[in-house]
Amino acid sequence: MRPRTGTPVTLAASMVAVLLLTLMPLPGGVVEMRPYWAALVLIYWNLEAGRLRHLGQAFAGGLVLDVLTGTLLGQQALGLVIISYLVERFRLRIRFFPPLQQAGVVMLLLFNDRIVQLWVVGLVGDRWPSWQWWTAPLLGMLLWPWVFLALDALRQRERRSRT
Amino acid sequence: MTSESGYRAAPADSDAGARVVRLAFYGLLAIVLMTLDYRGHHAQKMRTAAWRAAEPLFLVVELPFDLGRRLGEQLRSHHGLMQQIRALESERIASQARLALLAELQDDNHELRTLLGAAQRISLTFRTAELMNLGLNPWSHRVLVNRGRSDGVRTGQPVMDARGVMGQVDETGFNTAQVILISDPDHALPVRVQRTGLRTVAYGTGHIDRLQLNDLPMNVDLEPGDRLLTSGLDDVFPAGLPVAEVQSLERPTGEAFARAELRPLARLDRARHVLIVEVPEQPQPLSREDDSGAAGPEKSADDSADGGSEDLEGET
Repeated sequence: MRPRTGTPVTLAASMVAVLLLTLMPLPGGVVEMRPYWAALVLIYWNLEAGRLRHLGQAFAGGLVLDVLTGTLLGQQALGLVIISYLVERFRLRIRFFPPLQQAGVVMLLLFNDRIVQLWVVGLVGDRWPSWQWWTAPLLGMLLWPWVFLALDALRQRERRSRT
Repeated sequence: MTSESGYRAAPADSDAGARVVRLAFYGLLAIVLMTLDYRGHHAQKMRTAAWRAAEPLFLVVELPFDLGRRLGEQLRSHHGLMQQIRALESERIASQARLALLAELQDDNHELRTLLGAAQRISLTFRTAELMNLGLNPWSHRVLVNRGRSDGVRTGQPVMDARGVMGQVDETGFNTAQVILISDPDHALPVRVQRTGLRTVAYGTGHIDRLQLNDLPMNVDLEPGDRLLTSGLDDVFPAGLPVAEVQSLERPTGEAFARAELRPLARLDRARHVLIVEVPEQPQPLSREDDSGAAGPEKSADDSADGGSEDLEGET
């Protein structure tokens, strides 16, 4: 049984970090390669801590991101809801995958999200994304272990300081 | 606390059927929202409110990067600065000479217009603003500037850089404003060809370095290199601001209209300092125009481009 004492500080801090990383200015060439931080953090909390498991939470988070980044209202919300659903659906399996395989699954989730986003972009009639845009899931995969380790360490520390 | 209840309620979620229903519900909700946002501008009010609430966050994220830039400027060498000052000084003298000539032309123009009894050209004032560093979604064709309602910036004000029109203010926060660029696929701008006086509408394409003319007559007199100015038909942009240069003209066989590709004169992707144009109150403000200007740039531009052309024949 997981202890009821949560880790609200780490959760809040990770959310703030996601906002900062999402809004952070990047040089022109790599803007479209920005990894999908929100998805990475959402996947982590769902898999490892059993937090943010509600689709509604993913939806709300996506809406906030949409407003902040000037995206079509609901576009990222849709993406995050689908990611949240898939993670929840295969949660028990993904949790016990070896790390490499887990990173692969994360990449597949992010790639699937790119396809959802592309669908919206196509419907709206926006410009087709450049090739850099497709490298974001790969970057996400490479970042996953580090996000995982960092958040895990923070969470352990907070829990230890509580008991 | 939501996270706590989230944990306790989680086991109920494992019911696969309920999850699918919920997925369908949120998916539909997202699609409805997107449609509302895209089609009707219904979500505009909500977006404005949310954006204003989020403004402090923008400022906080901006802060470290702004500091970094300032630090970089501090560290720049004395020699480099002196060189830059010299270059700017010579540029200033050249522009001043040109301005002196312009002043005389303006007087001439003023007198001629009085003789003709034509409407006077309004003189423009500018407010300078700086672009913020924040990276919005690469598709949004919006930029943030560091002036807001506290500086008197209003929705719908034209924004330009030193070379030409960049866009118009779309949302205003207290200290920041969001500018929609002319390259946004939703943006339409009534323009006039400088050489021939032909009036048409320039549409954004979604590419930062390209605009389009879609509804030119097949026998149109247009050449690559022609400059386009705002025509002033939308009551948003004053007439005569430089917009773009024609790059290529295409007359596809079997279609009703010729098409032209334009290159915006403003450096939409690189400008750092911009000018927000103060448009003086029009003598005959139409409330309908004001409303549509606030609702969305595309609508206002289209409305007046369709309906306003007869009025203007008399004025100029």
